[in-house]
Order: sequence, then structure tokens, then C-alpha cells
Amino acid sequence: MPSLEVPLVLIAILAGTLAVTSAGRGAWVALTILALSSSALEFSVADPNRIGLILRLSAIGIGLAAALPENLFDRDALRRDLALRTLIGTLREHPVVVASAAAGLLLGLVPLALPIESSSDALRAAGIALLVVGLPPLLTSRFIEATTRAAVVTLAGTMLLRTSIFGALDPLTALAIGAGFTCLLVVGGSVATRISNSEEE
Amino acid sequence: MTEVEVLSVIRALFPTLMALSSLALVPLIRLWRGSQRDDAAEYATVGVQLLLLATSIGAVLAGPGYLSTLRLGQITIDPSEPGRLLVLLGGIVFAVIVGAGEGRRAGTMGQIALCGIAAIDLALAAPSGIAPIALLLFASLAISGAAASGKDDAGRARAVFRDLRTVSLLLPAVVIAEILRTAISYAAVDASYATPASLAAGTALGVSLVLIVAAGVFPFHNRLIKIFEALPIVGSLLVGVWIPSALALIVMSELSALASSITDPIGGAIVPGILLAGAATLVFGAVSALLNDDIGEIVGYLAVGNAGWLAIAAAAALQSPTDTTSRLIVLPGTLAISLFGLWLVSVRRRYGTTSISELGGWARHTSAHGITLTAAIVALVALPPGAVLAARVNLLLLGGNPLIALFAVIGQILLIVAAIRLLLVGFTPQSQTVHEAETRPFANLITISLVAGSIFVAAAAAGWLALESGGTGPLPPAPSVSPEASFDPAPSFVPSVAPSADPTPSVTVSPEVSPSVMPSGGGEISPAP
Repeated sequence: MPSLEVPLVLIAILAGTLAVTSAGRGAWVALTILALSSSALEFSVADPNRIGLILRLSAIGIGLAAALPENLFDRDALRRDLALRTLIGTLREHPVVVASAAAGLLLGLVPLALPIESSSDALRAAGIALLVVGLPPLLTSRFIEATTRAAVVTLAGTMLLRTSIFGALDPLTALAIGAGFTCLLVVGGSVATRISNSEEE
Repeated sequence: MTEVEVLSVIRALFPTLMALSSLALVPLIRLWRGSQRDDAAEYATVGVQLLLLATSIGAVLAGPGYLSTLRLGQITIDPSEPGRLLVLLGGIVFAVIVGAGEGRRAGTMGQIALCGIAAIDLALAAPSGIAPIALLLFASLAISGAAASGKDDAGRARAVFRDLRTVSLLLPAVVIAEILRTAISYAAVDASYATPASLAAGTALGVSLVLIVAAGVFPFHNRLIKIFEALPIVGSLLVGVWIPSALALIVMSELSALASSITDPIGGAIVPGILLAGAATLVFGAVSALLNDDIGEIVGYLAVGNAGWLAIAAAAALQSPTDTTSRLIVLPGTLAISLFGLWLVSVRRRYGTTSISELGGWARHTSAHGITLTAAIVALVALPPGAVLAARVNLLLLGGNPLIALFAVIGQILLIVAAIRLLLVGFTPQSQTVHEAETRPFANLITISLVAGSIFVAAAAAGWLALESGGTGPLPPAPSVSPEASFDPAPSFVPSVAPSADPTPSVTVSPEVSPSVMPSGGGEISPAP
């Protein structure tokens, strides 16, 4: 698993960046990839029972099933929205977010200015990069779906930062955080639907 | 699983089991009553009220003792005394509120109340790392989402959206506080890093921020007001008052443990800042309550005033960690605001308006509501003077700043004046709306439960029943903080986690001894190697 750590970190950061910069299908697919990669990073080492990983994946699965918009899996539209050219174009349209992700990655590689020596550089870098990418839209976005995705990115980053120092979560905390992921996605999806319904009326 | 284990599961998870039962009970009642929707709603209301009362009784019978401790693999659920006290009183309060609220959604509101109470009990039973705070924050978001459902109201949806953003921002603050707290032990033996006092100040700031934002302390009061404006009263009370109270108990215990673990005073402007925010919140809440003419908003501002006391108590916990006064005012404040909520929902249901100008003479028309508001005012004033009033005075003395104490006293007096104003409106000449409203005979189950419940809750809030709650004990360090769990080599120095004397003893003594009540050394400084 340690050999997969660096690729997973890069995938998580790229997916997090796309989750807050894309719209529609691209963003939701990126969010799913982020959830999978960050969960694999978080529970890869210190959880021999894999109960934390199972809980997290189940929670995110339930949340995504409830929050995903309709017609997401339209094959042609998916192919169009997930084309490499489209994704690169999206990233080029948001240079500040991409630069923030890169800066967060570099910042995370610098050791903490705290007397805690047992910290994983790769996980810390991923955590800080996701926090730097997720927090600005979480604070400023007026769009509910975008804020929900930013909240998930921020929570994933927070948990990776915590894992880099403390290791994987205990089962009860894993349950609470997993429920939190589900809650964010379900409540965000429900609020978005209700506001759009009331605006239509 | 043996019979003893089954019993311990039931005792430890009783509120949760009741909440899960309600999720099955209400749909079954609706299925049973079929198309008679009003009839089904009445049955569902009675069903959830019975479950709420059963939760209270079950919490009393199960208690927080050794027999109620549950171990499932690595998970330990150890119900706490304050948690069980909140369940006992919460069950009664929400049973009465759901009954007074009536209506088609009363059953759903009862389910929400049961789930909220279960989340509070579970969070206060699991004091490990960030789990209890995360559980309460996400429960708050889920409850506001559920309470706002039912109709496509943009105002309600935006209130929930604001909550989603708040919860998502608070969790990183908790994790950063946890990281800083862990660093305190190491900083004590390595002078090249930040001092323990400055790290403790950072930890205190992060943890206090959770309480300040969640409780609606100035300048974060707007969230609380929007919650009271937009959500039904059960959701408003749970999200705006009960869950922040449970968070306050955890935060105050954490602050006490933090302050007692370092020798130097906590630096920066943390304590004066929190004190000032508390006093400003009291004055702001009171003045706003006096200036408003909508009883829903007035109750919201009274809740803001109560949040001011929570902030002052948090500052006192930092100033004087061995003093348990800070935790004594949490429950009475929660009960007083719940009584105002009960009055609000019953008046709104009876007269169909929340405008003071249309509610002239309400107390003469429906005297039961007058008794409820009088009980709420008695709870707010904490009369006759006793433990609750003494605790508030002690908090102001612990703050050590006469000017801030004076502001807080003025704020509290203005809050009482704002509440008395509501009562006085009830004795003015009757308005057209009040005159035309139907009355119910006094010898009616809902009215009797309203009056009896109000008097009981006011007695508990004012300290007549000597119901008190201590802290939950400090949060132990994160379970997986051991070097084996990390990727990198072990730290050069591993802090010891020797049990320390409990700095936050519960003021009520449990006859049974729980094996896990001894706090671990979260945030404590270990001797130099």
C-alpha cells in the first residue's frame, strides 16, 4: 500500500480540485474519486479490520446515491464531460484554484512547526492541499451544490491531515465521520432541490 | 450474546433504541389508520409522546453506572450522568411540546426530538477524541435538515444551508485544536517550539470557537436567530439550544482539563475575549428582544442571551478549572429557553399569529398559557434564589472583570424585562384575534400536561429539584495517537498518559462506579525524560 500512497495522494488532490472547479457530471465524478482515494489513504495502514474503510465507503455510497443529480449516467454526456480536453480546459479556467492546490501540496510537504515528529508527509500534503482548495468556496460560494462539494472536499482534507498525525480513526469516530459525509451529501442535495422547487413556484 | 450483555446493550443504547423504534412506529400507525390522515396524526402524536416519556423513564432506570457500559470490540459506550439527565428532562420537555404543537407533523417532530435526544446521550457517552463533537455537529445538521423538510420553503432551506456551511467549518477547527493539544506535551520538554501556554491558548481558541459558533454567541448570533425564524420549534430548540448545551458540557470539561494541565496562565486575549463576547451577547440579546414585536424572534433573542451565559461559563472554566460552577448553569438555561419555546408553540397554535400587536389579552383568554410563561420567567430568573443564581454570581466573580460583570447583570435584567413584557401584553385589553380564538376547557389532557409539564420543568430549571449536571470529564487523547499508527518513525519522546485526578468532578454522586470514568491525561504535560 505505501507504494500506492503517492499516486493516491495526487489523484485525491486532482479530484478535489476538479470537484470544486467543474460543474455537473465532472464535479460529481471527481467527488466520487476523491472520496474513494481519500478513504483508501486514510484507512490503509492502521486499520487491520478494514471496518473503518467499509464504514466510510458505505456512508459515502449512501450519501452519493441520495445526492447525485438525475441523468448523471447519460453515456454520451458523461463521455463529453469527462473528456480529457474538457477537464484540462476546466483547470485552465481556474488557475487560482490549481495554484492553491499546488501551493497546498508544497506547504504540506514542509514539516509542521509543531513538536510532532511522527507525521506522514504525503498524507499531510494531501490534507493541506484539499483544505486550501475546499475552504474558499465553502466560505464564499452562493451555490448549494458547489458548497456541498466544497464541504466534502474540506472534510476529506481535514481527516487526511488528522490521519497524517494520529493514524486511522477508531471505529466509533469513523462511524461519526462517515455519518457526517452522508449527512453533508444528503442535506446538501435536499436543500438544493427545495430551493430550486421554491424558485420554480 | 448472554443475557447480561443484552441488558447492557439496552441500558447503554436505550435512547437510541427508542429513536429507532419511532422510525418504525410512526409509519406503522399511518399504515394502520389508512386514509384518515387527521386520525393517524393524532395516534402518531400520542405514540411519539409515549416513546419520549419512556425514554425519560428508561434513562432514569438505566442510569450512567457500570452496568450501562457497553463494549463492542474497540467501541465503548459509557453513558454519562449529564447525558442521562439531559435525556430525562429532554424526554419530558419534548413530549409536552409535541403535544402542545399538535398538527399533522407532530409525529415527525416527535421522531426528530427522539433522534436529537439519542444523539446527545450517545455523544456524552463516547468521550473519545473528536467523536462526540463530530456526532453532535452532524446531528445538528441532520436535525435541521429533517425539521425543515415537509414543504418547499426557501427560508427554511437557506437556514439549513447556513448550518451546513457552519458545521463544515467547525470540524477543521476541532481537528486543529486536537493537534495543538497533542503538541503541548512535547513542547514542555523542547524549548525550540512554541510554549505550552501558547499552544494551550490555540487549543482553547479552537475548542471555544465550536461553542461560540454553535451556541450563537455574538457575533455569530445570526445563525441562531435564523434557526428560530425558519425551523419548527422542536428543531429550533434542539439545534439552537439542546445540542449546543451538550457541546458546552464537552467544551467546558476540555477547557478545564486544558487549563489545569499547564502551569502558566493561558496567554493572549482568549479569556477576556470570550468574557466580553458573553457579556455583549447578553446585552445584545436582551435589547433585541425588547425591540422586537414578533414572539418567535423574541424567543430567539432570549436564546441568544442564554448563549451569552455559556460563553461566560467557558471563560470561567479556563480561569478556574477546578470550579464546577460553569457546568451548573448549562441545564437550567436550556430548560428556561425550552419553556419559552413551549409557550411560543402553544400560543402560535391557539391564535395563529406571532405578532405582539395581535396578541393583546392572550393571558386572560387562555390562562394555561399564562401559567407556562410565568413558569418560564421563574426559570429565567431562577427564583427563589438558590444554587442556580449563586452559580451565575460565582461565574461573574470568577471572570474577575467588574465592568464585564456589570454588563452581564444589565443584560440579564433586560432579558427578564423582555420576558415580563410578553406576560404584560397578556393582560392588556383583548385584541380581535384573541377574542375570536376558540378556547379549550381547562380540564383537558393537553392543557393539564402543558401546565404540569411547565411547572415541573421550571422547578428543575430554578433549582428546586436539585437536578445538577457535572461535566463529562476531559476528552482522552485520540485513541490512535500511538507511534505504531503513523507512517514515520516514532517520536523521540512519548508522553505518558498516567491517569490524573479528575479536575471536573460531577457534582452528583453516582452510587455505582464506572470503570471508565477516570480521565486520561489528555493535554497534560508529562515530566521531562
